[in-house]
Amino acid sequence: MKKTSLLLILIIITGVVINISCESDDICPESTATTPSLIIDAYDVSNPENKKSVTKLLVGGIDNISVLPGYNIAAATQIVLPLRTDSNTTQYVLIKDTSINNNGTPDDLSDDFYDGNPDIITISYSREDVYVSRACGYKTIFKNVTLTIEPDSDNWIKSRQPLNDNQSVEDETETHFNIFH
Amino acid sequence: MKQKHILTYFISSITLLLLFCVSANAQNDSITNTAKDSIKIKEKYGVRVGGDIGKLVRSFLDDDYTGFEVSADYRLKKRLYIAGELGFDEKITNSDYLNVTSSGSYLKAGIDYNLYQNWLDMDNMIYSGFRIGASTFSQKLNSYTIYNTDPYWSPQFSSTDLKEFSGLTAIWVELIIGIKAELFTNLYLGLNAQLKVLASETEPDNFENLYIPGFNKTFDSTRIGVGYGYTLSYRIPLYKKDK
Repeated sequence: MKKTSLLLILIIITGVVINISCESDDICPESTATTPSLIIDAYDVSNPENKKSVTKLLVGGIDNISVLPGYNIAAATQIVLPLRTDSNTTQYVLIKDTSINNNGTPDDLSDDFYDGNPDIITISYSREDVYVSRACGYKTIFKNVTLTIEPDSDNWIKSRQPLNDNQSVEDETETHFNIFH
Repeated sequence: MKQKHILTYFISSITLLLLFCVSANAQNDSITNTAKDSIKIKEKYGVRVGGDIGKLVRSFLDDDYTGFEVSADYRLKKRLYIAGELGFDEKITNSDYLNVTSSGSYLKAGIDYNLYQNWLDMDNMIYSGFRIGASTFSQKLNSYTIYNTDPYWSPQFSSTDLKEFSGLTAIWVELIIGIKAELFTNLYLGLNAQLKVLASETEPDNFENLYIPGFNKTFDSTRIGVGYGYTLSYRIPLYKKDK
């Protein structure tokens, strides 16, 4: 009786220990919502009910040397922009109808530049760090988000519209801004 | 004729009685004799005090850990002990995204029940018991780095402003199983494993308790915790009792 109860306790404890140690508690699961990106949908300015694809779109962050992956001269109706977590503003240049101008030297890639219609957008917000879990640590959520189209002589983005008053970016389940072009 | 019959009845019954008495006496004698042959075994009762040498060694080897625990038990009955532990833990939890120092003290109290049948005058234990534990502690968030699945704007924001969450408390119950072996007279080496279930804790604002002194590491999905101990203890004998 005593031996069996002892054995039982031992088995339960070992079982629980194995069960816990096999849990991947230290890897942040992909399904967990962490720092969200800004989601923008592109609509037709002459027919605001319809989505309209931005042709040959190239997106790059100002002060960032690389092109935003996924937007390297591609057509897009939805643009997902990661926001800076170390600053209260993020700036992007969105170039429509982009083409690479080889500057007359097809063999020399170093002097190539992009032709197209660039528009610069400035996204301003206030940041709040929210605790997620042991493995994921903290995420940033963005409050009072505003999107400004920097005016130039030929803006291809005619207007923008937040989906809510005091638009915040707290998750990636819905669109945050619409742009019309 | 009749009288003779009665007489013989009396005589026979007295003889029988006498025989019985003798035989009864004889049996009693044999019992007392065997009892006198064997040695009377006395068991020691007293207070056993000790420390956790496992925590001591870990404090030296592990840069992220400092801690110590003193323990005591008192033998109430042949198999029953009241037992308790008092300890201090400081643990740094460090990952790519968090660096947290948890520190505080704890008290555990409960009973141990010896499941082991000792031979002769041996006094070892294979025991099981339970504890109720309580801890007061603080957590210092030394630094954190924002987790972002999109690496486009790297590096992510890092905070090195110390944030302290103090005055935290936790209460838990635990099931303990272990052995205590008498190495030398009154000196014991023990090892045990603990399975804990968290009953209540104060949740820090916009953070969580990653490590609770005495309870050890917490887990995201369950309220269960685990622990182990290596103890060295000395029994101060107070009195003896027949086994």
